[in-house]
Amino acid sequence: MAIPMIELDRVAKHYGDQAAVADVSFDIEKGEFIALMGPSGCGKTTTLRMIAGLDQPTSGEIRLWGRRLNEDAPWERDAPLVWQSYALFPFLSVRKNVEFGLKQRGLPAAERRRKADEWMERLGIAGFAERGVDQLSGGQRQRVALARALALEPEMLLLDEPLSALDPHLRVRMQSELVRLHRELGITFICVTHSHSEAFAMADRVVIMNEGRVQQVGAPRDIYRRAANRFVAEFVGGNNLFAGTASSAGTRLRVDGPFGTALAPRPAEFTFQDGDAVTLVVAADRIELAPAPMGADNEVEGRVVTLDFVGSSVTVFLETAGGAELRIQQSLSQIENTPLSPGQTITARWSQDVGFFLSS
Amino acid sequence: MSEPLPLPDTASEPARAASSRWANRARYAVFWGAPPALWQAAFFLVPLCFLIAMTFWSVRNFRLAPDSTLANWTFILTAGFFRNAYVYTFWLSALTALIASLAAFPAAYTLAYKVSPATRRLMIFMLVVPFFTSYPVRIYSTQIFFSPQGIINTVLVPLGLGPLQVLNTPTGTVVGYLVLTLPLVVLLQTFALSNVPRILIEAAHNLGCGRFRTIWQVIIPSARIGLIVAGTFAFVLAFGDYVAPTYLGGSKPPTLSILIADQVKSGNNWPRASVVAATMILTLMMVMLVMIALAYGRRKGRG
Repeated sequence: MAIPMIELDRVAKHYGDQAAVADVSFDIEKGEFIALMGPSGCGKTTTLRMIAGLDQPTSGEIRLWGRRLNEDAPWERDAPLVWQSYALFPFLSVRKNVEFGLKQRGLPAAERRRKADEWMERLGIAGFAERGVDQLSGGQRQRVALARALALEPEMLLLDEPLSALDPHLRVRMQSELVRLHRELGITFICVTHSHSEAFAMADRVVIMNEGRVQQVGAPRDIYRRAANRFVAEFVGGNNLFAGTASSAGTRLRVDGPFGTALAPRPAEFTFQDGDAVTLVVAADRIELAPAPMGADNEVEGRVVTLDFVGSSVTVFLETAGGAELRIQQSLSQIENTPLSPGQTITARWSQDVGFFLSS
Repeated sequence: MSEPLPLPDTASEPARAASSRWANRARYAVFWGAPPALWQAAFFLVPLCFLIAMTFWSVRNFRLAPDSTLANWTFILTAGFFRNAYVYTFWLSALTALIASLAAFPAAYTLAYKVSPATRRLMIFMLVVPFFTSYPVRIYSTQIFFSPQGIINTVLVPLGLGPLQVLNTPTGTVVGYLVLTLPLVVLLQTFALSNVPRILIEAAHNLGCGRFRTIWQVIIPSARIGLIVAGTFAFVLAFGDYVAPTYLGGSKPPTLSILIADQVKSGNNWPRASVVAATMILTLMMVMLVMIALAYGRRKGRG
């Protein structure tokens, strides 16, 4: 098998007896857009900083094209970072900021100028070239930071929460711009974010971290459809976690709990005994609504608690007689013919094949 | 609807509130600002005016007499000994500011970036310790160090490296100036470097800028104001110092402060001494202005 571009091999970073990163292993292929995602303090930024060489791993190995990278000084690496707070040099003009990295590489002044012009043009900041960075807006500063990093024409770009300091409408624009840049440049992007909507919208693969460990690595769709554990299922949102007791039902497993009764495929990777406590995961957008039960399996009756409209989708929260809460996500057009109002009783229904069990 | 609307009243209400707020703030400022202002007026402004006035007085039979003559100014400004002393003092002070700034930087860099916060606190305390002893005492002890039978020569002479002649030379004066200024410059530089955002240093490293180049390209430009202030302090302190050039420099050639003392001692010529003092104050003001312009000036070239 070909060597992956970047390998993190059992990497850990301790501060005293605190582990910022406990044990992280994953590979990154050339040209991928990888998102490191997790709640604050999960070790995602430290992982990024270790790739950049700004923090040294306490143990484990980081490899680039199979070569150990741990001891390389940050200035010997080709991994420019775009900081959340941009980290532009306030004593330099926009142009000099963009030229900074090129200057370190010893490029002649004319060449530097040409490349800086090219990148400022490409990122739409050519008009501010001679301004000080303190005269720019947040969005413009971000573009300077991107130009400064990309002018080096690196084989990877590191991004630390690139969108969190921008206001919402700018965030959406920048998000699609990053995706476009990634596609055009064909280089590896490694992006740290705490927002799953950002991560899932931009990345080819997402690394979900918690408490210094990797929880799951996978394409956004796979993570949504098949969370590896309870943390991921809860963190990515949009999932129903039904706790209940397992019992055998032929090729399927039957779960009884406060939500009612449901059938789901028997998991291949692990076995349950009858009477085991299990958690069944059903994605919110895979549940349908019907005015009344049809007597089929996987039907739950519940009272509408609230309706949450976001754009053209609506999340319906139901409460069952047993006290379980269900969330059902539908597009507005799907429920147009189903009158819904809080307090009303309605039936939720899903296919036996869409549910899956968590390992613990 | 025949009665007049109460509009003018309500309209002036915010204005009145604003003006009373302003008055309040002014009272507050006067109350807290007055003591230092009065102090400065009584012990700096008034003596300064008196000093300037005295430059126009004359001395007859060793007696001061109020006058309005320019003789003192013409005498001092055309005197060769004044010009020599002026150039000499300016040069030694500038040299001191430069040496102190250069010598302090590695120490300040270490304190700001390379040691733990606990060590930094301890070292900053140690830098304040020299100020516990009065400055002349420190100069006397330096004198003992450099004397022919002092510690330094006792060590150097048997090694064939001495004797080191520092006392009664310009080197002695500069050593004394450094005794006065170096701890302060290290302190000010440490504070200046500590305030450089760490993230800018990391950004420089990340963009391929090694440790030494980062000092030049990021740390010094970022800490510029503090570094210039530190050097200026060294210059100002050295320029007016009397103790070091007297006890370590041996008064020859004289600095401006020694000149002042000489004018007073020999001939009781307070007016001429005042002229020298006035030129010193003027010089320091000019130096400060230039340095402030250097420190805060809008950087046109931007590196």
